[in-house]
Formats: sequence, structure tokens, C-alpha cells
Amino acid sequence: MNSVTLPVSNLEIEGPIVDVSFSIPNELDSKLKIEDKKIPNPILVKAMIDTGSSHCVIQENIPKQLGLSPVGATGIRTATGRRECYLYFLRMSIPKHNFVYEGVFTAVTLEAQQSACLIGRDLLSKCTFIYNGPKNEFTLDLSK
Amino acid sequence: MLEVELKTYTKEKKILLKEHENEFVLIKENKIEGIFETQNDAIRVGISKFGNSPFLVKKIVEREQIQNFTSRLIKCDS
Repeated sequence: MNSVTLPVSNLEIEGPIVDVSFSIPNELDSKLKIEDKKIPNPILVKAMIDTGSSHCVIQENIPKQLGLSPVGATGIRTATGRRECYLYFLRMSIPKHNFVYEGVFTAVTLEAQQSACLIGRDLLSKCTFIYNGPKNEFTLDLSK
Repeated sequence: MLEVELKTYTKEKKILLKEHENEFVLIKENKIEGIFETQNDAIRVGISKFGNSPFLVKKIVEREQIQNFTSRLIKCDS
């Protein structure tokens, strides 16, 4: 089941943060294996679920470390201004849980100390997201 | 990266809008490689054809929707 419920010691202070692993997408993994090329190791980072983000974003060094090329470009607008960014297609999974998502992430410069990814409403549009404040836990369910 | 592909999209946009509005176009250099119903389908075909080299997948729309973020954690220069 593509669903995970995670406890957080203080959900109000820390926010809905989850450990995620980024790797190259399945299609590319298969192609590189056929061509007998090296598969880059997955990158482990923290991600925050952010309903204030229209799209998922990642720290721009992640696709660089995975050696990925962009699949698009877009304009973004934030509280501090506008800029053009590249789009990358990545596989995101939650280690030790059966949660896998392949999709487009916008590469940005994130100034967050604690998270290198914001999970935005494009992914949430495919999920049920339950924020359970009293229990200090949240659920992300990608089951369909 | 993608300068050639973006120019190709701009050049072909009017024609694409007539027949394929709200679909996704796959462009490699100055060639339109295909039209797809979903972004992920276009990307997967792009990877299958071109591997890990840059290509452009773009939603065919009159006015591109800009991505919005309330977070102040994303750095913008302007």
C-alpha cells in the first residue's frame, strides 16, 4: 500500500517532515542497466509537506548529484521574487515504507536548513494528506 | 540548457495550440518528437528515446501558468 503514517515529536514546531530518498526514474534505470552504465546511488534528504507550494521543489544539487538532465523549464514566483528554473523527473521514495512516487520536481535554491525538498500540491493532488495535530502524526496516502 | 528546444516551442506554439491545446509536446533540439496526453507519458518516451540527455516537455497552453510558493525558503534573486 502506497501509504505512510509518521509520528513527529512536536508536529507544531517541526512540521510534517519526512525522510525521503531520491533516485533516477525507473525508465532511465532500466536504460542505463541495458547500456551497462553505472547507476547513481540514491540521495537521502528530509522533505517537508508544504500546502503553500503549488509544485514539488528540490534543492538544485540533488539532480546534479544524480547526473540528471532537465526535462523542462518554468517560471516560479515566491514571496521574495521570480526566477526561471529547470524541471527534473525523479523517483522519490520513503525508506522502510512502501511509498514510491515518480514525477516532476522543480530545482531551486532552498535556504531551509532542515529540508531539501518541499512536497507541494501537485503531488498532494494525488494523495490523501491527514495532519493529526493532537496525535503528533501525519498520514500521506498515495493509494488509488 | 534547453535554449534550442524553447525556441522551437515558441516558433511552433501557434500551430500546436490549434490542434493540441492542453496536451504535452516533446521536443528535442529543433524537432517535435510527439504529442502526449500526460506530462509523465511524454517524459518517459523522452527518456526511452534520448536517455539522460536534455529534452523539453511542455504543456501546450496560450499562457503558461507560473508556479507559486508562499515559502520564503526558496531563494530568488529579484
